[in-house]
Amino acid sequence: MIELQGLTKRYGETRVVDDISLTVEQGEFCVLIGPSGCGKSTTLKMINRLIAHSEGKILVGGEDITSLPPERLRRRIGYAIQSIGLFPHWRVADNIATVPKLLKWPSSRIAERVEELLALFQLDDDGLQDKYPHQLSGGQAQRVGVARALAADPDVLLMDEPFGAVDPLTRDTLQAELARVHRQTGKTIVFVTHDMDEALRLASRVALLNAGQLVQYDRPAELLVAPANDFVRDFIGRADLGLKLLSRRRVEEYCRPAQRTRNNAIASAPITWQVDADDRPMALLGGRLGEPETARTVVNPEWTATPEMSMKEALSRMVWFRVTALPVLDVEGRLLGEVTMSGVMGHRP
Amino acid sequence: MNVSALPRPPSSRRVLLISLSVLLIALMLGMEQLAPLFRALFPDQDPAMYQRESFLNLTLAHLALVLVSSLISVSVGVAAGLFVTRPAGREFEPLVSTLAAIGQTFPPAAVLAIVVPIAGFGFVPTLVALVLYGLLPVVQNTVAGLGTVPSQTLEAARGNGMNAWQILWRIELPLAMRVIIAGVRVSVIINIGTATIGSTVGAKTLGTPIIAGLVGNNLPYVIQGAVLVGLLAIVTDLAFERLEQRFSFGESGKA
Repeated sequence: MIELQGLTKRYGETRVVDDISLTVEQGEFCVLIGPSGCGKSTTLKMINRLIAHSEGKILVGGEDITSLPPERLRRRIGYAIQSIGLFPHWRVADNIATVPKLLKWPSSRIAERVEELLALFQLDDDGLQDKYPHQLSGGQAQRVGVARALAADPDVLLMDEPFGAVDPLTRDTLQAELARVHRQTGKTIVFVTHDMDEALRLASRVALLNAGQLVQYDRPAELLVAPANDFVRDFIGRADLGLKLLSRRRVEEYCRPAQRTRNNAIASAPITWQVDADDRPMALLGGRLGEPETARTVVNPEWTATPEMSMKEALSRMVWFRVTALPVLDVEGRLLGEVTMSGVMGHRP
Repeated sequence: MNVSALPRPPSSRRVLLISLSVLLIALMLGMEQLAPLFRALFPDQDPAMYQRESFLNLTLAHLALVLVSSLISVSVGVAAGLFVTRPAGREFEPLVSTLAAIGQTFPPAAVLAIVVPIAGFGFVPTLVALVLYGLLPVVQNTVAGLGTVPSQTLEAARGNGMNAWQILWRIELPLAMRVIIAGVRVSVIINIGTATIGSTVGAKTLGTPIIAGLVGNNLPYVIQGAVLVGLLAIVTDLAFERLEQRFSFGESGKA
């Protein structure tokens, strides 16, 4: 648990962080977000004393952070930055082992922990642990950075725009992986970003900062549905507020029973799925814009949905393939239900 | 200066280093065996082979002078470079750089002229001149090398709980080592060449036959001294090149 109480940072007369108070509960994924210069990075770095605070108090696990030497504090708090923060002269395994070595763990325990982390981040390919950072891809380097931060099993993890330097595709994978690691480990994470989509995707709580002040601290859905003021609304992006909201929703919340048939006959419902003997959808009968209700469209794997998919993606697929419904499939490819265009509209946020 | 960037496979550099080392040792031990060759080439010179001192002794004395002066240059230079890159010494950076630069602007011959009246002839004044002369590349490259360590790397080191000493020993020095060694390399190579002038004030070096040859108008003497000094410099340079590569961390040959 992390508590910021009246946290302030002054440089001369300017208050870059101005009287911020918030509590990050155990296991929470807190994203600090705001425009450039809003003080989000400074706030993060005050938590592990990379920057000294001017006023107020920071408690980590109930303890005032000034009560122990900064090095001891930092070894108890994971810290990950952009991939360039890896030590270029150390191999992957040595980079990951940084904090355990500082804590003087026995080498067998260090080796065990490194193995464990390589597996957790799917970095256990042949020879990868013996590579130097510059021999890694951007995504691999970033995974190593996060693995290093987790090495000594800290309760708290601080991350400063860790995915800022990777391409969108890799960032997407890394975000999914971080979300998984967060679920698996239950760490308390404080994460700085300026990317609202990233914040909405990862956060269990979002702290929106502006000019050093905390504007709103809420769950992502609340931020979208009940923005505190116009700044919040503008920052989230007024134009695609609805899409942002859908990006937080998963297909399973919208999924409803599907009408099935084993042959070409049109059933009573306007949208019917023709399935094979294993309940796998083969074709959609009706449900295609601008075509007669009897039209038969063969199901293409590209316009199917899974329960974990975001509704934003599902909607995007519907629009792109001009269908008013997507089949929701389980891992075996069997029909679980359907999401429909009218279902998206009908659902209350 | 960056010889390692030459498009040559490292194995051929190794062969070159080994064969030149063998040649150097052979000449050092057996220069006297070449007397018939020099007599044939310079029939008018008598004697055509420097014999007042063995070339082995001259080379060892030369090496001792270079080794001692380089050790002092490197320890003082690296220490000064470290000092001015720490928070406490940062304000002394311009002063130290200027002093080191003055040390190099001063011609070694002038330093000898000043030091001889104080310290007498021989080893000591030459040592002082070489130390002053070799300081600048070491200081400069130490400061430059530490400056190449990315600030993000340092922040990561701090953020992971390293203290100032651990950051210096585990992160900064290893990452700066390549550039620092390049500075030491320049300093040592300069000193190998410059040490020869020590013979003008009576220090025993490979310059002794060269000076004797220049004074006595004896070209074979000059060649015998110069070939050994030249070989010594090339072999040392190649050896440093290999040392630098140890700190490339998988980036073979990249500066």
